[in-house]
Amino acid sequence: MANNLKDNEFDVIIVGGGITGAGTARDCSLRGLRVLLIERNDIADGATGRNHGLLHSGARYAVKDSESATECIKENMILRNIARNCVEDTQGLFITLPEDAETGFGLDYQKKFIDACIAAGISAKAIDPKDAIRMEPSVNPTLIGAVQVPDGSVDPFRLCSANVLDAKLHGAKVITYTEVTEFVKEDNTIKGVKVHNKKTGEDAVYYAPVTVNAAGIWGHSIAEMAGVHVGMYPAKGALLVFGHRVNNVVINRCRKSADGDILVPGDTVTVIGTTSTKVPFEECDNMSVTREEVELLLREGCALCPSLANTRILRAYAGVRPLVASDDDPTGRSISRGIVCLDHETRDGIKGFITITGGKLMTYRLMAEWATDAVCRKLAVAEQCKTAVTPLPGSEPKDQYSEVKIPQFAGANLGMKASIGRQGSMVRKIDFTNAEDRELVCECEQVTVGEIRYAVNELGVTSLRDLRRRTRVGMGTCQGAFCIGKAAAALAAALGKPEMADQLAADYLNERWKGMSAVGWGDTLREMEYLQRVYKSSNESK
Amino acid sequence: MRYDAVIIGAGIAGTTAAEALLAKGLRCALVAQGRSKSNPDLNALVARGLALYLGDEVLSGDIVEGRVVALHTQKLEDVALVADNYILASGKFFSRGIVADMDRVYEPIFGLDVEYDADRSNWFNADFAADQKFLSFGVKNYGQGKVAHEGVVLSNLFAAGEVLEGICSLDSAEKIAASAAEAVSNIK
Amino acid sequence: MQEHSISANNFEQCQKCAICTTVCPVLANNELYPGPKQAGPDGERYRMKNPVFYQETLKYCMNCKRCEVACPSGVKIGDMIQSAKLEYGKRSHIIRDTTLASTDLVGPMASAFAPVANLALSMKPVKAVLDATIGVSKHRTMPKYSSQTFESWFKKNAAAKQDGFRNHISYYHGCYANFNYPQLGKDFVAVMNALGYGVHLLDKEECCGVAMISAGMKKQATKKAQHNVKVIGEAVAAGRKVVTVSTSCTLTIRDEYPHLLGVDNSAVRDNVVLVEKFLWQALSAENVKLVWKEDYKARAAYHVPCHQEVLGWSNFTIELLQMIPGMELTVLDSHCCGIGGTYGFKKENYETSQKIGQPLFDSIKAADPDFVACECETCKWQIEMSTGYAVKNPISILAEALDLEKTMEANR
Repeated sequence: MANNLKDNEFDVIIVGGGITGAGTARDCSLRGLRVLLIERNDIADGATGRNHGLLHSGARYAVKDSESATECIKENMILRNIARNCVEDTQGLFITLPEDAETGFGLDYQKKFIDACIAAGISAKAIDPKDAIRMEPSVNPTLIGAVQVPDGSVDPFRLCSANVLDAKLHGAKVITYTEVTEFVKEDNTIKGVKVHNKKTGEDAVYYAPVTVNAAGIWGHSIAEMAGVHVGMYPAKGALLVFGHRVNNVVINRCRKSADGDILVPGDTVTVIGTTSTKVPFEECDNMSVTREEVELLLREGCALCPSLANTRILRAYAGVRPLVASDDDPTGRSISRGIVCLDHETRDGIKGFITITGGKLMTYRLMAEWATDAVCRKLAVAEQCKTAVTPLPGSEPKDQYSEVKIPQFAGANLGMKASIGRQGSMVRKIDFTNAEDRELVCECEQVTVGEIRYAVNELGVTSLRDLRRRTRVGMGTCQGAFCIGKAAAALAAALGKPEMADQLAADYLNERWKGMSAVGWGDTLREMEYLQRVYKSSNESK
Repeated sequence: MRYDAVIIGAGIAGTTAAEALLAKGLRCALVAQGRSKSNPDLNALVARGLALYLGDEVLSGDIVEGRVVALHTQKLEDVALVADNYILASGKFFSRGIVADMDRVYEPIFGLDVEYDADRSNWFNADFAADQKFLSFGVKNYGQGKVAHEGVVLSNLFAAGEVLEGICSLDSAEKIAASAAEAVSNIK
Repeated sequence: MQEHSISANNFEQCQKCAICTTVCPVLANNELYPGPKQAGPDGERYRMKNPVFYQETLKYCMNCKRCEVACPSGVKIGDMIQSAKLEYGKRSHIIRDTTLASTDLVGPMASAFAPVANLALSMKPVKAVLDATIGVSKHRTMPKYSSQTFESWFKKNAAAKQDGFRNHISYYHGCYANFNYPQLGKDFVAVMNALGYGVHLLDKEECCGVAMISAGMKKQATKKAQHNVKVIGEAVAAGRKVVTVSTSCTLTIRDEYPHLLGVDNSAVRDNVVLVEKFLWQALSAENVKLVWKEDYKARAAYHVPCHQEVLGWSNFTIELLQMIPGMELTVLDSHCCGIGGTYGFKKENYETSQKIGQPLFDSIKAADPDFVACECETCKWQIEMSTGYAVKNPISILAEALDLEKTMEANR
């Protein structure tokens, strides 16, 4: 918008590189604003990267919160068009089990559920349990009812990354691993932020007439820093990742939302979740999954899909939902998942400051639209939102990048197909005619040197954790045992810092170790011993 | 099938024991589920007369009055492996010489007495690079690889290498081989 | 709550240690093959997500299963690859693959015209035509067909005597003994009779289907499997063990039927046994006695066929051969011969096949034995064609080394 800005002056500063911040950065930059996005770690590091990856149909909310349900189904349909390489149309089932009838969620409830879905615009139809088993053979065969809904799965890392990439393509500046230390505040106006780069140790000041707080649960303290209070409710949700796809259709329980009642097939794995427990703010930075949570998720998961009892668990992880507190419900389940957009000028008398929070992954685009509308009002910009109709980078339909051919080379052939699945039309940027770029690094997840180079060049990768979020490197069965040495070397080379390889690997292994420790028995413990051996023993050739 | 000695496991400990026993002139067999990366070539031992049962799994062992009297494998089915002495070099978790479920660590072939921490929360150190307690778990060593079943020390089964408490794959090949030599020293 | 992971082909037990890739004979010799880890458990995860991730290059797997023998986690890598081929594979050489795979369809026709067929199969122009039209390598020496099948010999010359013995077994002879080398069947009958066993054929055995499985002909293979399980079941119900001479037929009937074709063989599986294991057990139970020829002398080199490695019974063969006085036995280093059943006959695999076999050929030449001992008929073709050394099935070696008359008396 403004043409004569200095390097450290922007139209809008967005704090938080999760999906909400990334979406807002994209929306603002598509509307012609000069945007700065600040993230204290990597993009998609908080709740964005720690959830099911469920492309909600909204059915889950239909009975209790029809507004959320309607928002969900609308956004679901939008994402299928603007983020083709990030979503998969798996369809979903809501199943009724014999024991549900005893708790008041029998087939009467199913009828109420279907009516509520239809009222919210969600195409829900009851299907015969036999057909449900045919559609998803892993489903609990004792089911007495099933409803088919347009659920799907979404890769939140790639969705976030695509939003950031598009924002950058439209001129946004994105800085990661940088914390806001203080606001530049004059009288009752926020004029900018003081920041500290955790990697370089440098401090800087940036100015903008509007700052958006999109920091998820950490938005609580960002707001405090700005001198306003937003009553956040940190609700921890734990999840388990199974070693491969157990189901190909999302399986939900047709009852009041409870722990461990959604089983999502995402990419090459299946995820069960979640739990919901209130946690203190100081724990939000270091979530770990307890044994009780693992047992609970397994028990509930087995009710949806009995074979989970004998399926290897790769790891456990947890995220914190940024719910906005409205009462003292101890579970946090009765809090609306609705979007909260606060203009602190009207609410608290603080000018130039907006908080966008609540909501969920599914409605990030709408949240971004609301936040951007608020920004534009403050800046008196009349541009309309285009994010619902503008495809994200990589999302072109297949026939529009048919010039990308998969050459018939041995091993890497699967890697190339997997890259196309992940990066969509952006695979144009990977040179598969080059033998070195075809070389497989991560064999579980089929990541090639070329894809790693692409991620470094275009997607702002600085560590293996960052790389994992964009390519799935090291997320497969071996959790890095086979590939992390190789991946670290390839990444360090692509970053132009070959001496960093060992440090990159060590940092990544610690992250994997934590997730595996929570489920360290059986085949997972075998893999843990193998990891130790590969990276610490002199007897093992790497 | 009748031998002087049967060795379970084809890693450093198993092959070291096999070499030593063949050198004593004993008729030996070695059973292993698969090859070990640290020691993939078994041809030389076969050339020296080792009866190799590779790709087979010992399912159970019969213990009578403090002695192992027979082994049963998946592929030999109704034919038992019988020997005067047995060496258990079946490795740790990776090779399933010992197995962990959610609460328990056990030795799956004979049900030997195993040393481990019953409190799972002590098994792992959050720092990958630090020592990890679970790697110290293993079959209880009553000296020179002597092992016990329900508290009774067995007279002709000796454990070697990583299956034992206190030895793991992070130890040097020399240390693992030395434990095999100790186990073999029980066999005259 | 969660004790063990259970999955088809032990897929979940894979720890990605990659030891399978170090023993795969194809991977080392054909750069188009993704290798057992990628084709097996790694690829399987992707195929579970979406069959679009199936790779046609899985056809280069020769199903030797050396990956399974080497796997420390018990993962059925070979089965996983074969299953994927059966499930998703396209068949590009339908005529060739069907011809090579239908050993009991082509066999009878070839046997009827054996001299013509053999002459034709050895002529250069015919080979060139086979090469160009249906993709059978012209470098290959084609297996000869016999003018009298084993079955017709047996009915004419042996069947009538069989009821007169003390004990009885059924004999699954396989296509090779029937069509290509009836002498193997005759040796089997001679040895078993000498040991006091009457030999009975099944009620029309059919090809085990191993070649059809490799060619992705699931429906046809399943029909064969169902038939064989039925007729084997009849023999078992009559109280007979079903004894075999071919390692690949044995493995197929015992393990591939349930794993790859979904044919339930649980009622018969444990009663199907390779003759070497059967004889070893009879000897150790002291049910039978052997009387050897006094002047027999031989230097043999034993090649363990890949499917014998999978069965895990090579030590029975070794002990039997070592019992022969005058036998000097070398056990060759474990290598694949490269033929892989019908694999090496396919034009695109000829070069790979010969490269794979080279270390074995070299070790045979270095040992310079009187002959090679081996239970597998396709190994025999490959080794004889590639080294010039004769290959004998252990049962034929026993037939030569035993004093059959005295043995028969001893077991009367």
